[in-house]
Amino acid sequence: MSFRRIQPARIAAIAVKEWREIVRDRLFFALAFLVPSALMIVVGYGLSLDVENIPLVIVDRDHSALSREYAYRFISARYFRFMGYASSIDELDRPIKSDRIRAVIEIPPDFEKNLIRRNPVQVRSVIDGTFPSRAQITKGYIIAINGAANLDLTAREISSLIGIPEVVAREKLQPIRIEARYLYNENIQSRWSIVPKLIMAILLMSPPFLTVIGVVREKESGSIYNIYSSDVTKSEFLIGKLAPYVGISFCNSIVLFLIATLVFQVAFKGSVPAFFFATAIYVICTTAIGLLVSVLVRTQIAAMIITIIITLLPAVLYSGLLFPISSSTPAARVIAHLLPAMYYTSIVDNIFLKGEGWAAAARGSAILGVYLAVLFFAGYSLFSKRPSR
Amino acid sequence: MATPQMVTDAKGIVKVYGSTEAVRGVDLQVSKGELYGLIGPDGAGKSSIMKIIAGVLAQDAGDVRVFGTSIDSEASAEAVKSRLGFMPQGLGLNLYADLSVEENIDFFAKLRLVPSAALKQRKAELLSMTRLKHFKDRPMKHLSGGMKQKLGLICSIIHEPELLILDEPTTGVDPVSRRDFWSILHSLIQDRGITALVSTAYLDEADRFTRVALLHRGKVLLQGTPEEMRRSARGSIVSVRAEPSDEAFERLRAWTPQIERRGDSLRVFVGERFGQEAISEVTEKLSSFRIESAEATDPDLEDTFIALLRRDEAKPAAPSLISRERSVASAALAIEARDLSRVFDSFRAVDSVSFQVRSGEIFGLLGANGAGKTTVIKMLTGIIPPSSGSARVGGIDVAAAGGSVKTRLGYMSQAFSLYQDLTVLENLRLYAGIYGISGARAKRRVDEILDMADLHVFLNQLSGRLPMGVRQRLALGCALIHEPQVLFLDEPTSGVDPLGRRSFWEVIYRLAREKGVGILVTTHYMSEAEHCDHIALMYAGRAVEDASPAELKARLEKEVGRILEFSCADPYRAVELLGTNGFSGPALLGSRVRIFSKSPDADLVGIARVLALAGISHGEVRERPFTMEDVFVHRITGLEQEGAA
Repeated sequence: MSFRRIQPARIAAIAVKEWREIVRDRLFFALAFLVPSALMIVVGYGLSLDVENIPLVIVDRDHSALSREYAYRFISARYFRFMGYASSIDELDRPIKSDRIRAVIEIPPDFEKNLIRRNPVQVRSVIDGTFPSRAQITKGYIIAINGAANLDLTAREISSLIGIPEVVAREKLQPIRIEARYLYNENIQSRWSIVPKLIMAILLMSPPFLTVIGVVREKESGSIYNIYSSDVTKSEFLIGKLAPYVGISFCNSIVLFLIATLVFQVAFKGSVPAFFFATAIYVICTTAIGLLVSVLVRTQIAAMIITIIITLLPAVLYSGLLFPISSSTPAARVIAHLLPAMYYTSIVDNIFLKGEGWAAAARGSAILGVYLAVLFFAGYSLFSKRPSR
Repeated sequence: MATPQMVTDAKGIVKVYGSTEAVRGVDLQVSKGELYGLIGPDGAGKSSIMKIIAGVLAQDAGDVRVFGTSIDSEASAEAVKSRLGFMPQGLGLNLYADLSVEENIDFFAKLRLVPSAALKQRKAELLSMTRLKHFKDRPMKHLSGGMKQKLGLICSIIHEPELLILDEPTTGVDPVSRRDFWSILHSLIQDRGITALVSTAYLDEADRFTRVALLHRGKVLLQGTPEEMRRSARGSIVSVRAEPSDEAFERLRAWTPQIERRGDSLRVFVGERFGQEAISEVTEKLSSFRIESAEATDPDLEDTFIALLRRDEAKPAAPSLISRERSVASAALAIEARDLSRVFDSFRAVDSVSFQVRSGEIFGLLGANGAGKTTVIKMLTGIIPPSSGSARVGGIDVAAAGGSVKTRLGYMSQAFSLYQDLTVLENLRLYAGIYGISGARAKRRVDEILDMADLHVFLNQLSGRLPMGVRQRLALGCALIHEPQVLFLDEPTSGVDPLGRRSFWEVIYRLAREKGVGILVTTHYMSEAEHCDHIALMYAGRAVEDASPAELKARLEKEVGRILEFSCADPYRAVELLGTNGFSGPALLGSRVRIFSKSPDADLVGIARVLALAGISHGEVRERPFTMEDVFVHRITGLEQEGAA
């Protein structure tokens, strides 16, 4: 096969034509420029892994000063949203089923009397176990609050028995204390972790989506025959056709970056040029995914379904978006390593939150570069100007 | 190397899609300067052949040479693509809807690296020639069908290819635009010495070509000049009017299957007989009937096509009449439109249209795309309300009746969607269910439809797999399941081959004549308009004529005289000369020149003299009968000029 010299004029003609079609077609325009940002804002606000505001009801069957003090510890905690007192657990059956209540604390009768007599008391807690992780975290909160109550009670007791101040008694009771400091995401807000990764997910889905629509609609309408029947080379066509989509997606990445740092106030700690260098490679890489899909299918509907499946699943499951790859099953870990999303996620994490620079960008970009080369080579080889059907 | 004069030399082209053999061994030779036509119905294999020659589809077998280069790989195809221009099927579909006319042209030119000076000059020339100059900034999506088609032509010719391949450029375009397109194409080809390979589904376009290949189911049925093709049928068509007409039809069909009804008369193909001999052969068969008129003509290409098909594959005879019940000819009105108008925003889509269709009558509504035909049908079927005027269907006021009118009418369109994954029987049962027909009545109706549309042999086949013609009959059957007394057919035969069209029309005739159904039909095939009892021409929302085909032709003849036609060496100059010498209505129809003449004998001599003086050699000047296309084009262009003035 002889390679002819690439003619920039042809590439320009194709790119300009493509650009005009995108900006003049209102639906396509929205898909290209508005949907990525809208997704970022909607999902960014909606998706939070923090367990807070758990609706809580307290059944106080003692109605004493101590029981009220104990209940108030839960009511004032920021993790719970206090829904009110109830007289018995039985009447809470319905609100629990309909998700209006997720946790109940039941303080038994004679709570105060037993404590004063130094008899152990049993407080019952009921937790909605539908979501195991949420239930675990809720249980953790309850245990911690209960622990603090025990500590205070015991400290008060000791202080009155041996005549030392309560503060000192508390220190004696807790010889070892833990001080936790969180690195990178000091307030352990899940938004700080998720928002930068959303850039990864959106840039994984949007560029191939635009590309398949752009290429496959030419196949559907028959205008692809203008390309097939002319002496345009495959490279000229592919470069001219994909350039606008890469450009648009790169612009989107800047907008997404601004949304993350300005709207969601996520601190950006690393190198901006390094981040955008890696992002450019990533965007070209995901555009190439679109190219490969559009070479293989003939209808827009098939192209879109396939694109959603092969981008949405990795974006959610195999990218480290919701949970770290290192803690997934071995099979999932293998799959994650075969897909590009994970590498860009680690670039985003490293540069965004950990403040790294070119070193982090170079590591991931090298691997993404290999993807890019493989995808383009596959797309180029499978694209035929003289197909068999 | 093949001879340099041979632009395309293909032998044994085979193309298979899955289990469908689209092209089954086609040979094709096109020499330099030819305008070569591929003619055949949908699914004949035209598109596949053209794509293979254009190097955009790989063939499964066959030796294809273009400009002497064997096209057997992507690389070898690339080598000749700079010398080719290709326009795929689908009106304007290969153009870019959101780009303006000029931007479209520029894109194609830049793709082909046309230097900007040459582009500027060619663009100006082509835009003025196609009269698109004033529309160059208009987005392509806002062009009319005819304009899209001309733009498509400009885009595929802007790099001055040596071989131009156009796949069904005239499909879906009205006859006026079609004539315009052909004359532009002819002059382009002549001026630039381009060779062209053009496909069409309209058999009556065969005369436009220097040579044609008639395709059917992936094979070449016949190849040659239009003249040779017509002679190959070896026989004549006898048009006879005999009373009683239905019995005469039955009698003749027992004798030959190649017979069709056209209005009151019967057209019979008589093989190996010509002139008076052919007429007497037919009249002998009708000895017990009252014969009102009989004349013999040469078979047209459609007759030839059908004659050849019959010779080739011995088709079973068309279904015979099952029921002998006859409705009493009634004067009841099936459809009545009175001053029907419809205004969209400020645009009058339909402008006080009035017509009447009696029970048992077939009424044709003819007009270009956008003339308002579909809007009229939508108002008559109660889909949209009229802005003013009234519509009555089956004696009921559509506006007052609301939904109940729908049980009285059947509607079938080109876009009529059968459920492709259901069998014939399942489709019929489904439609029975939709119309609330069940139990014994459903069974009876399904059986009756199967008889009527001759679908028994296809009973358990998936409707998606049926040939177009059979599918259309099934669609018709579904539209008739609830025994409507009024039937609307919106371009029912698009893409159906001539045999399929004929059997479809046979069913339509029987519905009208035996069951007394009132039928309204729209069509793009001018030859089909001849089937109608009366016809209204629509232009810019108005119905401008309403008469029988014979009456319409007679009116035109009274106005312009007879038609004289001939072929000649330099048709462009001939048209010009005849115009300056005072001949009436000289025009180019493909490669032939036509004039109107009120005194044919004198004009025959006159034409010969004018041409001889200019040194233009010409073929025999012949008088030919008017066709519905002549009527349509003459009336509509007249109205267009009025509108422009």
